Amino acid sequence: MRRVLVSVLLATGLAGQSAAHRLDEYLQATLIGLTRDHVELEVNLTPGVAVLPVVLAAIDRNSDGWISPEEERAYADQVLRDVALQVDGRPVPLRLVESRFPSPQAMSEGLGTIRLRLRADRAGRDLRFENRHMRAVSVYLVNCLASPDPSLLVGKPERDEAQRSIRFAYSFADAYGTRPEPGWPARGSLWLAGIGILAGARLAWQRTNRRQAQ
Amino acid sequence: MNRIGFLVAALACGLAHAQSTSGVPATIVARANAFLVSLDEGQRSRVLFDYNDAAQRARWSNLPTTMVARAGLKMGELKEPQKAAAMALLAATLSRRGYEKVLAIMEGDETLKSESGGRGGMFGKDLFYISILGKPSVKDPWMLQFGGHHLALNITMVGRDGILTPSLTAAQPAKYTVAGKTVRPLGAENDKAFALVNALDEGQRKQAILSYKVADLVLGPGQDGKTIQPEGLKASAMNAGQQAMLLDLVSEWAGIINDQAATARMADIKAKVADTWIAWSGPTTNGMPAYYRIQGPTLVIEYAPQPLGGDPTMHIHTIYRDPTNDYGKKSAAR
Repeated sequence: MRRVLVSVLLATGLAGQSAAHRLDEYLQATLIGLTRDHVELEVNLTPGVAVLPVVLAAIDRNSDGWISPEEERAYADQVLRDVALQVDGRPVPLRLVESRFPSPQAMSEGLGTIRLRLRADRAGRDLRFENRHMRAVSVYLVNCLASPDPSLLVGKPERDEAQRSIRFAYSFADAYGTRPEPGWPARGSLWLAGIGILAGARLAWQRTNRRQAQ
Repeated sequence: MNRIGFLVAALACGLAHAQSTSGVPATIVARANAFLVSLDEGQRSRVLFDYNDAAQRARWSNLPTTMVARAGLKMGELKEPQKAAAMALLAATLSRRGYEKVLAIMEGDETLKSESGGRGGMFGKDLFYISILGKPSVKDPWMLQFGGHHLALNITMVGRDGILTPSLTAAQPAKYTVAGKTVRPLGAENDKAFALVNALDEGQRKQAILSYKVADLVLGPGQDGKTIQPEGLKASAMNAGQQAMLLDLVSEWAGIINDQAATARMADIKAKVADTWIAWSGPTTNGMPAYYRIQGPTLVIEYAPQPLGGDPTMHIHTIYRDPTNDYGKKSAAR
């Protein structure tokens, strides 16, 4: 359990730290890792010293000046509720794999980063992620990690202007072999669409033949 | 040493280096050993680390050393001859342009110290650290680290190669005056980038300019070994002149290392230029704050104005990486 002397730290921290680092924003940076069977998110949360009272109020729920493991877990759960992952258009539950909270002293100086690792045991071809956590005071980064697996194909991502959300198509190249250039839709999606069109055409042709035979 | 004296000494070291370019590795090893000889035993034990000390390798940041502790020897605790030996080692390791850039970043931090009044204790030239991982050698790999607030140079010497990744250069203030002369430590990184984005045609700019804001470095300190999906405009869609401008911009980072190592590095980057991307976020008028990222198979560069302490154009963070060879791991394994 860590002791947080919130008022003292804020008084000392706010005074002289603004020139060096984040001040009045809560930086929320998410990196999305893709594998063949799951999606993993690294969410790094860095409160600036000026917004620290807001963030600490959300962590130190009972305002007793302490951040307990239970309060850490409760805050991580709050973040989990505030982010949303969809795979192939369907909401996918995320679970907390790991959390690391910085020392209160580090947070008071605006350089402490809360690190959360989240995972969804689902894979698909279309991913959408949105972060709605503490929107009023936050700035966001969200990016898809390049995979050590060279067969990963990722289409051009779409984001909102503030980077609260991202959507992109992805797949692994086994079925079609070649890697599309980033910035273009994943070639896998085009293959699937093509197969679907051909299957539909074949079905229609068979029905037409049956009607003619009758 | 006063500020003008510091710059004069710096220039002298740079000239000395320029005259000994042909024997760079031997010069570097000799200067490293001269620096180590200048130290007492206690200092030597604090400046030297095992080559495979992973914690020390990663002990760097954009933040002041009073907030994120560095290890090694602090410039402020060295005697003048020891400091001169340390700076001579750095001058031999870097190009003249790179060395001057480093000095300008340090001088900027000194300016920040004087401008911060009583709160300036976390800034200044005395708070930069030097450390050596491994034993300086012409043939065996070793590392030189030099950095502090807004600077982190991680230089791996592998035979005749010098690997500068990952390294962080930054500036606050990004423009200041010394002895009546205006200094912009990262001015070329800014001006060349704006020149490039304005040399693109409308269709190219549409691809290069991202539709979203980028608030900070994506692959800054603590993100070793990671890389993200590239976005923006691919250089294969640029003409030869635009590609040359892109490479010239990249050389502002790749050319920090000594000329021999920089030449090899630039040749590698040039060979892969068609697979290199540039992404831009923000206005395209020089003087306005804009983020950009250059990314290739062996390259990540980010340039990020910081909205901290006032005007974002006066506070810049940059990162330079080779995700395939950070800390020279690939080169050392050969």
